[in-house]
Amino acid sequence: MSDTTKYTEAFEELQVIVSEIEQGEISVDELSEKVNRAAQLIKICKSKLTKTEEDVNKILKELDSVTKEEE
Amino acid sequence: MSEIINNKTVFSLIEVTTSIQKTIAARYTSTFWIKAEMIKLNLYTHSGHCYPELVEKRNGKVIAQLRSIIWKDDYNSINNNFLKILKEPLKDGIKILFCAKISFEPVHGLSLTIIDIDPAFTLGDLEKEKQETINRMKEEGIFNLNRSLQIPMLPQRIAIISVETSKGYADFLKVIEGNPWNYKFFHLLFPSILQGENAITSISRNLKRIKKVSSHFDVVAIIRGGGGDVGLSCYNNYELAKEIAKFPIPVITGIGHSTNETVVEMISFSNAITPTKIAEYLLQKFHNFSVPVQAARDKIIDKSRRLLSEEKTKFGSEIKLFRSATKNILIEHRNQVKSEAGSLMRQSLFRFKNENDLLQDLRKRIKGSVYLTCRSSRQEIKQLALNIRNIAVSLFRQIKLVLDQNTHQITRSAGVNLATKHTEIKNIETNINNLSPANVLKRGYSITLHNGKAIKSYREIKAGDVLNTVLFEGNIQSVTESSQKPKEQ
Repeated sequence: MSDTTKYTEAFEELQVIVSEIEQGEISVDELSEKVNRAAQLIKICKSKLTKTEEDVNKILKELDSVTKEEE
Repeated sequence: MSEIINNKTVFSLIEVTTSIQKTIAARYTSTFWIKAEMIKLNLYTHSGHCYPELVEKRNGKVIAQLRSIIWKDDYNSINNNFLKILKEPLKDGIKILFCAKISFEPVHGLSLTIIDIDPAFTLGDLEKEKQETINRMKEEGIFNLNRSLQIPMLPQRIAIISVETSKGYADFLKVIEGNPWNYKFFHLLFPSILQGENAITSISRNLKRIKKVSSHFDVVAIIRGGGGDVGLSCYNNYELAKEIAKFPIPVITGIGHSTNETVVEMISFSNAITPTKIAEYLLQKFHNFSVPVQAARDKIIDKSRRLLSEEKTKFGSEIKLFRSATKNILIEHRNQVKSEAGSLMRQSLFRFKNENDLLQDLRKRIKGSVYLTCRSSRQEIKQLALNIRNIAVSLFRQIKLVLDQNTHQITRSAGVNLATKHTEIKNIETNINNLSPANVLKRGYSITLHNGKAIKSYREIKAGDVLNTVLFEGNIQSVTESSQKPKEQ
C-alpha cells in the first residue's frame, strides 16, 4: 500500500503547506521552495486521480494460481 | 370410460385426472391453514395471477414441494395487506402461513389455491431470522468490523460483485466510466447470483476469491439492481453477513431496494442503497481529494502572488523611506559640518584677535618697561659718575693736605739738619740731578699728559681721549683705545 501512503502523505503535506501559507507562516525566502514542493505534491495527487496501474491479467493469474492451490 | 386393449383395462389420461380431481374434491372440501416456504412467487404480470413454488425444508433439504396458485384478485388483496403490514410486497423466499384449497386440475395437476396469506407470520419469521443474525454478530463482536476499517482516500480499485447483464451494473459503470472529471477507476467484475437462497453461497465464494487478491483492491462493491425487491432475505443470512463483516477491505452495498435495511447493508462499510449511489459515493471520495488539491493549488498561487506583491510594495516603501532618511541625515550632517566650520572660523578669528591684542599689549609693556629701566640705569650711572668725581676731588684734597704737612715738616727738619746735611745735600743734589725728569727721560721713561696734566690712573682716561706722551726727545700724540685697571689689583 506504499502507493496509497504516497498520495495520502502528499495530500496531507499539501494541506500543511496551504495552512502555513494561509496563516502567513511562510516568508518570502521559503516561498519558492514551498511552492516548488507544493507543485510536486499536486502533481502526485492529480496523477493519482487520473491513473491506475492495476493489471487485470496479473490479478487473474494470481486468482488462477490460488484457485488451483485450493483444488 | 375405460377400454380393453390387449386384455388390459386402459384409462385415458383425462379419465384418470378427472377421477383424481373428483376424489380430491370429495376428500378436501374445506380450506386449510398451511405453513410453508415460498421460494418463488412467480407473478405473471400480464395475467396478474401468481404461481408460487412452495417447499418445506428440514436441515436444509427439501422434504416437501407443491405448486400453488393465487388468482389475480386474491393476490392483489394479499399483496396490499403485505405492503401495509410488512412494508414490502409479497415476494420470493419467505415463509408463509396461508389459507388454501387443495385442488387438482387435469391439465395443471395438483396444486394449492391460496386464498389468503397471514402477513404477521411472514413478518415474524423474517424478522426473527434477521434479529438472530444481528444478535449473534453483536455477541461475537463482529457487527462493526467492516465499518471500522479505513477506506483509502482514493478508493480507486473496485472489486465488483454483480451480474454482468444487470441494469445496476450498467448504471454503475456508466457513472464511474463517464465521469466528466476524468477520474480513473480500476474495476473487475466477480459475477455472482445476487438474490434468492443461492446468492448466499455465490456471494461468499466470490468474497473468498477477492480476499486472495485483496491487495489489488481498495473496496468491494456489491451491486444489484433491476431485479425488483425480491429474494433479499439472503442478505439477512448470518454466514454471508459474517463473511462481509470480517472482510479485510471495506465492502459497499448497492442492493437497490426500498424495504427495510438488511443485515448485510447494516454491517457493510457503507450502504449506498443503489448502484448509482455507490458510483456517486466513490466519485465523491475523489472530489473530496481533488477539490482540496485544486483549492490548495489556487490558494498557493493566490497567496504567493499576494505575498510577493506585498513584499514588493513593502520593499518599495522601505527604499523610499531609506532614501529620504539618508537624504535627511546627509542634509543634517552637512548643515552640522557647515555650522561647525562657521563656528570654528569665528572662534579662531576671535582667538587670533585675542592673541594679537595680547601680543600688542605685551609689546607695549615691554617697550615701556625697557625705556624706564634704561632711564633709571642711565640716571644711576650718571649718579655713580658724579659720586666718583666727588670722591676723587675729596681724595685729592686730602692727599694735597697730607703732602703740604709733609712738606712743612720736611722744611723744618731740613733747617735743623742743614748744616750737617749740607754735604749730604750736595751729594743728594747730585743724586737729584741724576733723578731729574730729563735724566729719567734720558733713561727711557716717558710722561703721558692729558690736557697738559700727567696721568697717574686709568680712571682719568677714557676711550677716545687724546694723550700727549713726552719723551727724552720729542712728543707723541695718541688716541686712547681703552683704559683698564691693572690686573694684579
